[in-house]
Amino acid sequence: MKVNEYVRAASLKEAYSLKKSSPKNKILGGGLWLKKGNGEVDKLIDLSRLGLDQIKEEKDYVSVGAMVTQRAFETSLIIKKIGGGVLSDAVHQIMGPAFRNSATIGGSVYGKYGFSDVITALLGFKVDLVFYPEEVVSLDEYVKKPGFADGILTEVRIYKSSAKSFFKKVKMTALDYPILNVCVTKDKDYRIVVGSRPLVAYLCEGAMKYLNEGGKDVDQAVELATQELKLGDSMSAKGEYRSHLARVYLKRALEEVK
Amino acid sequence: MEVKFNLNGLDVVYHVKPGEYLLDSLRANGVKSVKKGCNASACGACTVLVDGKPTLSCSVLTASIEGKKVMTVESIQEEAAELSEYFAKEGADQCGYCSASLALVVHALKEENPHPTRQEITDYLVGNLCRCTGLQSQGNAVEKYLGGKK
Repeated sequence: MKVNEYVRAASLKEAYSLKKSSPKNKILGGGLWLKKGNGEVDKLIDLSRLGLDQIKEEKDYVSVGAMVTQRAFETSLIIKKIGGGVLSDAVHQIMGPAFRNSATIGGSVYGKYGFSDVITALLGFKVDLVFYPEEVVSLDEYVKKPGFADGILTEVRIYKSSAKSFFKKVKMTALDYPILNVCVTKDKDYRIVVGSRPLVAYLCEGAMKYLNEGGKDVDQAVELATQELKLGDSMSAKGEYRSHLARVYLKRALEEVK
Repeated sequence: MEVKFNLNGLDVVYHVKPGEYLLDSLRANGVKSVKKGCNASACGACTVLVDGKPTLSCSVLTASIEGKKVMTVESIQEEAAELSEYFAKEGADQCGYCSASLALVVHALKEENPHPTRQEITDYLVGNLCRCTGLQSQGNAVEKYLGGKK
């Protein structure tokens, strides 16, 4: 990736104005996937001086600044309180600490990466994304919509939850991308998420509806989930194998959280 | 563009391209202890400490470290030499390509968590691959080093 100019934005207004002025201007998150891209960036916009690296506990939710690193996120005592610590556990499994000291939560979410463990784990909870200048979108909606947001992601709001939670990342080696990841939570309602399909994580709404309306049969819920999931092939696994993994881990997850 | 930062206790000014990575800038300026391994955020050989935190220099733009403190193994030479004795005793050292980055990671671990469990050591070292010996013997060495036993 060729970068023509590096701009340290002094304000969100400036960053947004630059982003809007050309499709070749890009926001810099953690920067870890930058070199994997081809082409050219005219102005690369650095948000690191805008105070977006804070985790704050509000009354109903936890506010995570978009520039909070994965490492800061996983070690935060505030984050560890959500869902029995499942979000910390999920992020802890991504590469090594040196990687996680650069990768940001905002970059992980905004990019809608198919292999993302962050998105899969966050979808287990009610999460809103706050974009500058003035848009709030639920993570559920954001991952369903094609394309990327027009604004700048500034904050990830994770609503407080003491849900019983399960997260599983299936991978071949410690530093590998997931072949599949699964997150299931049960607070008042169930949330069932399967990611790295290899497409971006998917909420299994049919299975959730069945369980949330009183369905008790775990096998039936797993069947509903696997019917609605679109699982494809990639270099690491075939869709058929992913389907097998999904059945095994969804059943295990549902039995664990019920 | 001009980037000012502190390298191993000295204030430096590097003239870099906007898309230049810290690994390339450091090596171009003679800091050859920082190794280029996978150059894809996966092996950890390029690890340096930025403001005390292990960071993959192959994946961090030099422009982004303006005003920060960067440490390479040159800043912890005595500590690295001491650690290497533990590595040698445990057979955790062979070609040495990963040694400088490992010494930095162990330094950061010691600062962050002076009395780690074996699992915490493993989790902290996992991003630094050693193709000669694997993490087992290095884990043994670090455990003894931090426990003060030879």
